[in-house]
Amino acid sequence: MASITEKAAAGTGTWVDDRLGSANFVRRSLNKVFPDHWSFMLGEVALYSFIMLLLSGTYLTLFFEGSSREVIYNGSYTPLKGIPMTAAYASTLDLSFDVRGGLIMRQIHHWAALLFMAAIVVHLMRVFFTGAFRKPRELNWVLGVGLLVLGIVEGFAGYSLPDDLLSGTGLRIAYSIALSTPVLGTWVSFLVFGGEYPGGMIIERLYPIHILLVPGIILALISAHMGLVWYQKHTQFRGPGRTENNVVGSRLWPAMATKMVGFNMLVFGVLALLGGLFQINPIWLYGPYDASQVSAGSQPDWYVGFLDGSTRLMPNWELRFWDYTLSPNIILPTQVLPAVLFTLLALYPFIEAKLTGDKGYHNLLERPRDNPVRTGLGAMSISFYLLLLVAGGNDIVATIFHLSINEITYTLRAALFIVPPIVYVITKRFCLSLQRADDALLHHGIESGTIRRLPSGEFVEETVPLPPQYAVLLQTTPERKELAEHNAHRSDGPTPALAGSSPRGFFRPKRSPSDASPEGQKELEG
Amino acid sequence: MTSTRQRLSGYAVVVLALALLGGLYTAVGAPKTKAQDPVDQSIAVKEGRQLYLQGCSTCHGLNLEGGAGGPSLVGVGASAVVFQVESGRMPLAAGASQAIRKPSKYEGAQVDQLAAFVQSYGGGPTLPAGRLDDGELALGGDLFRTNCSSCHNFAGVGGALSRNKYAPDLTPASARVIYTAMQTGPENMPRFSDNTLTPDEKRAITRYVRYVTNESENPGGAALGRFGPVSEGLTVFLVGIGLCIVLTLWIGARA
Amino acid sequence: MSNDSIRERLKASEETVETAEVSHGEHPVGDPTHSTHHSYHADLRNDPKRQKSAERAIATLFLLSVVGVVGFCATYVFWPFEFGEDGYEYYTPALGAFMALALLGIGAGAVLWAKTLMVDDETIQERHHLASADEDKVAAAAILKEGLEDTGLARRSLLRNSLLLGGLSLGALPVPLLFSLGRYQHKERALATTGWKQGSRLLDELGRPVKLGDLEVGGVKSVFPDVEGGRRMADSASLLIRMRPEDLKLRESRQEWVVDGHIVYSAICTHLGCPVKLYEQQTHHLFCPCHQSTFDAAAESKVLFGPAARPLPQLAIAVDDEGYFIAQGDFNEPVGPSFWERKPKYPQQPKTDDTNKGH
Repeated sequence: MASITEKAAAGTGTWVDDRLGSANFVRRSLNKVFPDHWSFMLGEVALYSFIMLLLSGTYLTLFFEGSSREVIYNGSYTPLKGIPMTAAYASTLDLSFDVRGGLIMRQIHHWAALLFMAAIVVHLMRVFFTGAFRKPRELNWVLGVGLLVLGIVEGFAGYSLPDDLLSGTGLRIAYSIALSTPVLGTWVSFLVFGGEYPGGMIIERLYPIHILLVPGIILALISAHMGLVWYQKHTQFRGPGRTENNVVGSRLWPAMATKMVGFNMLVFGVLALLGGLFQINPIWLYGPYDASQVSAGSQPDWYVGFLDGSTRLMPNWELRFWDYTLSPNIILPTQVLPAVLFTLLALYPFIEAKLTGDKGYHNLLERPRDNPVRTGLGAMSISFYLLLLVAGGNDIVATIFHLSINEITYTLRAALFIVPPIVYVITKRFCLSLQRADDALLHHGIESGTIRRLPSGEFVEETVPLPPQYAVLLQTTPERKELAEHNAHRSDGPTPALAGSSPRGFFRPKRSPSDASPEGQKELEG
Repeated sequence: MTSTRQRLSGYAVVVLALALLGGLYTAVGAPKTKAQDPVDQSIAVKEGRQLYLQGCSTCHGLNLEGGAGGPSLVGVGASAVVFQVESGRMPLAAGASQAIRKPSKYEGAQVDQLAAFVQSYGGGPTLPAGRLDDGELALGGDLFRTNCSSCHNFAGVGGALSRNKYAPDLTPASARVIYTAMQTGPENMPRFSDNTLTPDEKRAITRYVRYVTNESENPGGAALGRFGPVSEGLTVFLVGIGLCIVLTLWIGARA
Repeated sequence: MSNDSIRERLKASEETVETAEVSHGEHPVGDPTHSTHHSYHADLRNDPKRQKSAERAIATLFLLSVVGVVGFCATYVFWPFEFGEDGYEYYTPALGAFMALALLGIGAGAVLWAKTLMVDDETIQERHHLASADEDKVAAAAILKEGLEDTGLARRSLLRNSLLLGGLSLGALPVPLLFSLGRYQHKERALATTGWKQGSRLLDELGRPVKLGDLEVGGVKSVFPDVEGGRRMADSASLLIRMRPEDLKLRESRQEWVVDGHIVYSAICTHLGCPVKLYEQQTHHLFCPCHQSTFDAAAESKVLFGPAARPLPQLAIAVDDEGYFIAQGDFNEPVGPSFWERKPKYPQQPKTDDTNKGH
């Protein structure tokens, strides 16, 4: 049995190699080492969500009609029977109520979109706070920001396709935002919508954009993004044996590859769980789009929410002069703010390199505490973003907590400027104090919990020098490197009693003196 | 004059005076009633009067004329009473930006009696006979989305108004409460007279509200409050990313 | 360490070092074997009993996956699915649960297999220096330069400049095609007019004309113009409100725009176009649910709060002979959100065919 499979594999391999010369590539690829830390898999969550988007989306295209042709509904959902609606909305109702498995595919598709964006953001935060975007990976960072922006556009196009009351309201808002552009506003909005709103063809246009154009670009960017990671090799945290010039981890074949495929299935499983157990985008409750109807508590999907928030908080400044109107109340929160934010985000590696004067290669990651300014900036940005996100749901907050929506708005307006600087200062201080704790660890070692009384009557706590495999994690500055080497020589290498044990923990070792062997205990007492 | 005659004449004077006073009062002082109550209604009115005097007159006045504590109830109609009392908003709880729904202090029959009593003071909107929730479902949905969802949300779970006001969650509202709310326009809610929304249209809306808040299922799973994308976004982070991070911790359990 | 010595030491070596035996001198920070890396496989390598139990666990997970698929198919076929059928609302959740079981089973089994039974020792691989050797960079630059010189681009300025012109204009070629996506004729006029005409009756959402007396004080009605397709016109939706006449605070010229406390405003928010139907009867506020712009309906819909910069346009109404509400003309200004060409001021009179010259 084994020989048949072996023979078949060998035969196929030779056949391919004869034509492509692939053996060398296969050898190098299967042997490739990947560093393993749980946080390196967050980008994979985004990748697998995207694959699910492609699969579920393709299925949906077999049933969905991307047309604004008006029809009278005559399907199974009786509360909408006889109501006029677009074919896009009717076909979505059919998917939900008249196609077996249609609703779960719709829901998996929508949850996958939300998870895709959430994973991108979480992955972005990991890359940012560990400094993985530094040379030589600035280009990959820019590609990633591009994927973030494209994801937002793609998601917006996607949830606007069913032409329900909620997303249709969002389309009208998008039209009005385009309309407010100075000088070119009427041209741009009439171009995109094919005339004055509603134009009659926006669904027909969004459809190929959503199923072909943007996914194609995203797929290309993802390939480039992953290709760069492959070629430049992944970054890694400091640790024993890890230097700027190597990669320490597991080889791709068989363990890493199996884990990746397994994780793929697990993420699919999470999406199936979400898609089946949590109702999302219940368009039959929203009703078909009608330009004279609206619901209280209308929000876009979460990844557009920060723009809704900035729009709600903006004071109503408008300038009217000669024969023209200029609307900063619309342009600033919906056009200028995202342009500035995403540009700053994309250029950040270059800005940081310029400001720090750091032109070196960096393949070793920093722990957030080791770069207090960057971590502080990151935390500050996150607090700003979260405030905008909350502002986008201010009426939901008001409804649930029975608060005045006006007061929520005023409070958030002030908070937007007061909170981020405070967060910056607090975060930076926190990082510095964590560094001091690390310094203490390097200087004094781990507190063993053993208290010894000196002849003078003073009580001291015994400390155990930090074993080198942990000391190496903390050696982020030349002074610390020196200190660690000094301590290592002082106790003549790793304490024998403490070597060989395997404690767990992400960033700090967890040990207790009772772990020590009898010899070690004697040493402690000695 | 004999003493009997004197006594009799004394009584006559008193009776005459009383009759005169009563007549004057009836002619000038008594509130005008639109229609004569039929005999069976008058029992309800009588009971209602007792309930009113006990529970409502302190704020709304002995003759429904209103006062510092509450507005006049003349002409508000039986429907207003049904709405306010059956939803428990009246008697009013102290110190809220608007009347809060709470368990009703009165039982169904008592509510009707109060309603009949108030109706007898100047008339006003009343509930029609027959079922209130047997309107056309699809029509009701469409009318709901035109007239109601901008305050109460697409699924009737409620929404925020300006300042501290809110349009409440419609789930606990009975068909009677929904119908009379439309008729009477309580507090900041607009009034939908029978020419604005016909009784059939009101029945359709009532049917739809009862359906969407109490009978409709969630074929896609847990509804997450029917607030829309806000709760969905929260869920994707808490459940989706949460689960994925737990899984990455399991897979990458080293370093 | 200088770039030279790094390059020397890492001369194009992509070979993996199988074992982790590296001398203390080359890795001064410690021996990788004593890292915090923990391989379950290492634990199980010499423990056949635990290997067997791991095998059983993995196999169970894979079999659970099969259960998931079977359950999924059974649910798909047999579970009640029709809208309204008893239990139909559990169809999708059941599908999701079984699908999740199927996928999580395979996934967890694969991961467990990799963690417990596969060789997963920590390995070191050298990074290749990304920047090319100086000789390569010089050679590449030289080839490029030679080729460019060969083209004569630097010397032949006529060629270069005409190429520049041709190339840039080529980039502009798709622009007209893109332009065809829109219809721009009379766009300002389109924005400045709605479906309302002089004499249009106000129809409600079901198409019935609204009569004076239909509304009570504190009542509202969504109204649409009495023209073909008026119900569906995105810019014409309006709101008829009845207040007490003494509550209205209007300027002189607009006193004739109302009838006995009945006033009509455009329902298209001047901020970003959401429908403004939310009327607070006691405060006379109009409240847009999208971004919370608040308008005072008793005072020409003046903006009280929120990001809207302009009041809602008011529709001048009157009553015809039969008592039905009619519009005196179109809105005197463009409805809805602002745009560049929107004028700061518009004449305070309803737009009729007489006044409708251009926009």
